[in-house]
Amino acid sequence: MRRILAQVRKELTQIRRDPLALALTLVLPVALVALMGTSVSLTVTDIPIVIQDLDQTPLSRQYADAFRNSLMFHVVTLPAATAPEAMLAAGRVRAAVVIPEHFAREIRRGRPAEAQLLVDATDGNTARLTRGGAGQVTQFFARQVAPERTRAPVQTATRLWFNPGRESRKFYGPGFMVLGLAIFPPVLAALAISREAEQQTILQVYVSSISAHEFLLGKILAGMVTGLIQCLLSVVLLVTLFGLRLAGDPTPLIVGSVLFVFCVVAFGSLVGAAIPNQAAAVQAVALGGYLLSFLLSGLIFPIENIPDALRWVSSFVQARYYIVVVRDAFLQGGGWPAVWWAVLAIGAIGLAFYALAWRAMRRMQVKA
Amino acid sequence: MDRVRRLVAGHFRRRFWALALKELRQIRRDRRLTISLIITPVLQVLLFGFALDSEVRNLHLGVVDESRTPESRALISTLTQNRTFQLAGTYATPTTLGEAIAVGRLDVGVVIPYDFVRLRKRGQPATVQVLLNAANANTAQISQGYVENAVASLNRDLVGAPAAPVELRAAFIYNPGLVNVWFIVTGVFGTLIILNGSLVAAATMIREKERGTVEQLLMTPASALEVVSAKLVPVFLLLMIMVVLVLAVAGLVFRVPFRGNALLVLAACAGCVLTGIGVGTLISTFARSANQTLLISFFVNPPIAMLSGGLTPIEAMPKWVQPVTLFNPIAHFAKIARSVLVKGAGLDVVYPNLLALLVLAALFVGVSAWRFRRQLG
Repeated sequence: MRRILAQVRKELTQIRRDPLALALTLVLPVALVALMGTSVSLTVTDIPIVIQDLDQTPLSRQYADAFRNSLMFHVVTLPAATAPEAMLAAGRVRAAVVIPEHFAREIRRGRPAEAQLLVDATDGNTARLTRGGAGQVTQFFARQVAPERTRAPVQTATRLWFNPGRESRKFYGPGFMVLGLAIFPPVLAALAISREAEQQTILQVYVSSISAHEFLLGKILAGMVTGLIQCLLSVVLLVTLFGLRLAGDPTPLIVGSVLFVFCVVAFGSLVGAAIPNQAAAVQAVALGGYLLSFLLSGLIFPIENIPDALRWVSSFVQARYYIVVVRDAFLQGGGWPAVWWAVLAIGAIGLAFYALAWRAMRRMQVKA
Repeated sequence: MDRVRRLVAGHFRRRFWALALKELRQIRRDRRLTISLIITPVLQVLLFGFALDSEVRNLHLGVVDESRTPESRALISTLTQNRTFQLAGTYATPTTLGEAIAVGRLDVGVVIPYDFVRLRKRGQPATVQVLLNAANANTAQISQGYVENAVASLNRDLVGAPAAPVELRAAFIYNPGLVNVWFIVTGVFGTLIILNGSLVAAATMIREKERGTVEQLLMTPASALEVVSAKLVPVFLLLMIMVVLVLAVAGLVFRVPFRGNALLVLAACAGCVLTGIGVGTLISTFARSANQTLLISFFVNPPIAMLSGGLTPIEAMPKWVQPVTLFNPIAHFAKIARSVLVKGAGLDVVYPNLLALLVLAALFVGVSAWRFRRQLG
């Protein structure tokens, strides 16, 4: 135990003396979470649209005003003698509403009037949102002009749970916190071990009395100290900048965080021990830590949408489980009944990485 | 005078080709570089294209049906008609339904009241309660719209006539099937060019520095300009091969339509490749070793990739971030690729983006060549 602690102290001193590594652990991850968590969102507001009013009656203008008053749309004026299709083709607007002639007359006669919505569907998700929003505006207008005819027999009362303001940042903030933890601690851990191999200082370790377990645990504990500080800073950021609060029992988050940091540092150590070249080790972590966590963890798009042939890979991506734990802690607040399986999976993957790292260390020793 | 100039030009050409050939051979011998040039981008575009899909489907729907009438069952079947919702379970009380949502077993819950039919017979509106897990704002917004649409169509059936005085007919143009992968692939394409371009350029540049062979280059009669351009041209040609490969994958595997002029897209690719090379060279002038270039790229790449509109729409970003994307080559490239490939637009539409891309390319290559030359001297 004493030897492990001495090893931890040595590692921490080494990190403190390397300003690039220190920036890598503390400043950058937090900046990354702040910048990306606030910027990444799928829900577009102020969608630029154009309205072609062929009717030019008070009623049709009232319909156009309903779009102008909506927070979701930003109505661009249609230049004279321009077809709305041309505005769409030029990419100046995302959608066009065409109000036909006799729009007001049909409504007054009690016949359904039909307006047309042309949506640029290059971005499928925004196209869906545009259709939904335009439909809501139309329903609102219909209730205004003919309240007696729109009394629907079935009505809905919708309640939005966990994130009633539908703020994207409350969903993506925790996600990018996980991504930050999935990238930076393993890079540092991989560098710490592959540096020893590259600079041949590992030979000093071999001739000392320290065992492979002690050496590895010392490295991992040191990496965990910086990783947990990064984790704590990210949580502070989520509370201050993203306005998130712990929604329920914090113990799954605490246990999950410690296990996750252990898991990613063990992964980094495994890469460092397996690849005794710093540049190649960083690239391997970039592939395993960054790319897999980014693509297969449900960070932006749901995991369920990944085709089966690829989705099984995501079962081995630790970030996928930690994202569940963090989002539950800050949004749903389901506690242990909701996330016990995820915490368990992180621990299991962490142990597997540790065992593999230990084997890779021993193999390194045999080679030397 | 004329002869002298021609002589100088001839020398330039010969020295340039000799150096360029040396670079090409060097790149070919570096197996890791070749792999990262050819195989990685193709794998990445496949991985991104298959893994990232924003469609909202197969949401788990839970139902509390207190009414247990043909009408209530009709509502449930309308909700589960297409693939947005799948029925995951029926619950006895709203409380158990709420618990299932809280532990993440359900995304949406619908409570149909016991007086659902009776109220309607009396001519009073019946209210169906919808509980949504809104943690994911996008999913919540789309599923809310879907539930409301389903109820509206149920109302139409119940009343027997088009109830609403105004109907909005939506038509999706350019991508009527709402294929999300076209958006993702065209967005990832630029990211791949910039990331791989900068990686390869930085690797070839830093190697001379690391091994101290810069002195040997200085001793050759070639000028700094010749050294730099001879380094850049082979990398450029190799990256253009990668671009064609990725385009082929986009067209053959993901069926991205090629509606516009392919030459226009290639021109945009060339601008993007040049910018990537410029970024890589610039990074290499700041770094002292290959490790440092990789670490610096590690800082620089994620923000460039995420703040580009490649994967998520720029319009959804905060107002203060949106102008920043004007300096992002990936944003301009994605705009061109989407306009030309999917919408069939021509030069008259994309010229501002093409111009911006060329300016960015000139800027990055210029600054990095200047810094490289200064370091040589």
